[in-house]
Amino acid sequence: MSSVVRLIARRIMLAIPLIFVVITINFIIIHTAPGDPTYILLGETATKEFVEAMRARFGLDKPLYLQYTIYVSHVVQGDLGYSLLKSQSVGALITERLPATLLLIFSAMCISVLVGVFLGVTASKKPYSLRDNLATGVALFGVSTPTFWLGQMLLIAFAIYLGLFPVSGMKTLRIELTGLENILDIVQHLALPAVTLAAFHLAFIARLTRASMLEVLSQDFIITARSKGLDDRAVTYRHGLRNALLPVTTYVGLSIGILFAGAILTETVFGWPGMGSLLYDSLRSRDYPVLMGVFIFVSVMVIVSNLVVDILYGFLDPRIRSR
Amino acid sequence: MNQERLLSSHRREGERASVIRVSRFWGQYRKNRAAVFGLSLLIAICAIALAAPLVTWYPPLRSAVGGPFLPPTANYPFGTDDLGRDIYSNVIYGARTSMMVGLMAAGISVLIGILVGAFSGYYGGKLDDLLMRSSDVFLVLPTFLLALIIVAIFGTNINNIIFAIAIVSWPRTARLLRAEFLTIKEREFVEAAQVLGSKHIDIMLSEILPNAIFPVIVNASLEVATAILTEAGLSFLGAGDPNVPSWGLMLNNAQNYLRVAWWMAAFPGAMLFLTCLSLNLVGDGLNDYFNPRLKER
Repeated sequence: MSSVVRLIARRIMLAIPLIFVVITINFIIIHTAPGDPTYILLGETATKEFVEAMRARFGLDKPLYLQYTIYVSHVVQGDLGYSLLKSQSVGALITERLPATLLLIFSAMCISVLVGVFLGVTASKKPYSLRDNLATGVALFGVSTPTFWLGQMLLIAFAIYLGLFPVSGMKTLRIELTGLENILDIVQHLALPAVTLAAFHLAFIARLTRASMLEVLSQDFIITARSKGLDDRAVTYRHGLRNALLPVTTYVGLSIGILFAGAILTETVFGWPGMGSLLYDSLRSRDYPVLMGVFIFVSVMVIVSNLVVDILYGFLDPRIRSR
Repeated sequence: MNQERLLSSHRREGERASVIRVSRFWGQYRKNRAAVFGLSLLIAICAIALAAPLVTWYPPLRSAVGGPFLPPTANYPFGTDDLGRDIYSNVIYGARTSMMVGLMAAGISVLIGILVGAFSGYYGGKLDDLLMRSSDVFLVLPTFLLALIIVAIFGTNINNIIFAIAIVSWPRTARLLRAEFLTIKEREFVEAAQVLGSKHIDIMLSEILPNAIFPVIVNASLEVATAILTEAGLSFLGAGDPNVPSWGLMLNNAQNYLRVAWWMAAFPGAMLFLTCLSLNLVGDGLNDYFNPRLKER
C-alpha cells in the first residue's frame, strides 16, 4: 500500500509545477502583448477610474516579480478575473457552461470507444480482407476529416434538409418539458454534435485497436490458448482484446485536451451552450479575461485528468509502481 | 592525412548508400497503392496551388464578381458567397495559403524539434532534463487553445499563426529524434568519429543525424497535415488572417448561411479534407516503409 501512496505523492509533486507553468505562460502573454496589460485585462473602453482600480488590484505599478506573485495568488485562489462584457466573474461563467461541455465530451468518448474498438477488432480478424479494408478506410476518412466541416455537413444533411434533428442548441426553447421528455429532447439535440466530435477519435481508436490486436494475437500466449482448444471468440475477446485495450485506455486518458479543442469547434457549429461557445463569443468580442480563464481552467483539468490516469495505471499495472 | 582519407572515403560511401536507399525506397513505396494515390493527390493539389492564376478567372477576395449566393454553375463552378465572391477562385488560392502555412509551420517546428532533440539526446544530463521538461509542458497542455490565445492577443495575421502553430508543436519531433540519438550515439562508428577527433557538432550533424532522421521525416508529413488543420480551425473560430484566402475563414463565413448556401461550406471543406487525406496516406506509406515489421502481418 505504501508504494501506491508514494506513487500518488510523486505524481502530484510532478503535476503542481505544471499548473504554475500554465499560470506563468498566461502572465507572460499578458505582459508581452502589444499595449498596456490593462488593455488585455479591461479592453479599450474601460473608464479611467476602473483602469486605476485594476492597476491597484493587480499592483501594475509595482515591480514585475511582485505583479507576478499577486497574479499567481489571485489565480490560485480561483479568481480568474471578470468578463469585460457579461458583468460576471470568469469562474461563474465557466461553471455555468461546464456541464454542457462535459456531457458532449463524455457522449462523444463513449461513442468513439464502443464503435472504434468494434471496428478495430473486426478489421484485425482477417488482415487485408474486404472487411479490414472497409474498416481501415472508414478510419482513414475519420482521421482526415476536419471536425467542424463534418459538423457542418451533418447539419446541412440531417437537420436542414432531412429535418431529423434540431439545428442548434441543447433544448427546445419555449416549451417547458419535464422528466423523460426533457431527456429525450436533450438526446435529440446531442446526437449530431456528439457524432461529430466522436468521428476523429473513433477513427483513431479503430486504427489503434487494429494495430494492437494484430500485435497481441501474434504472441505466444494466444497460440497457447488456441492449442488448448478454446474457441475463437474466447481467444479473440477474453485473451486478445483484454490485452490489446491497454493502448486504447492510455489514448482515452490522454486525449482530454484534444477533446476540449474539438468541443470548441463542434459547439461553435451546433450552438451547443458549453465552454466552446463561451470561448467563441469571447474571441469575437475580444473578451480576453474569459479567454485566459478558459485556458487556465482547461489546462488544470487536463493536468488533473492525466494525474488520475497515471495513478489508475499504478493500480492496473504493478510494474509501474516500482519505477 | 590518413585520417582525412579515411573520413572522406567514409563520406563517399555514405553518399553512395543514400542513392541506393532512395531507389530502394521508391521501389517499395510504389507497391503501396494507397500511398501512391496519396502522393498523386498531394502533387495535384500542389500543382493547382502553384498554377492558381492560370486555372481561375476571377481574383480571390474580390466581392461582387457575381450576385450573392449563386449556386454552382459553369461560370462559378463552386457558386458564390454572401458578398458575391467566386468560391472556386478562393478555394484554389486557399490551397496556396494552406500549403504555405502547413510547410512553414511544420518546417519551423521540425527545425526546433531537431535542434532540441539532437542536443538533448547527444549531451544528456541537466540540459536534457531542462529541454525535456519544457517539451512535457507542450505535450500535456491543450495546445490548440494556447495557439488560439497567442493569435488572438498578438494579432490575427499569417505570421503569428505560423509562429503559434510552430511553437506548440515542436516537442513531438524533439522526442522522436532524442530517442534515436540516445541509441545511435552508443554505436561504434560514432565512437570512431570521436576517437578521430571530430567536433561534437560534426558528429551530431554528419554522423548521427543522417541515421536518425527517418522517423522525423515520417512525422513531418503528419505535422504538415496537423498544421493545415490547426490553421483552418483557428480561422474557423475567427482567429484567421482576413487578408488571405483561407479555407477555414470561408467555413467560418459559411456557418452563418448553412440554410441558404450549402456550397459555401461544402467545397472549401472538401479541399481541406482531400489535402489532409493525401498527407495522411503519404505518412502511412512512409511509415510502412520505415517499419516493415508492422506491414508483414
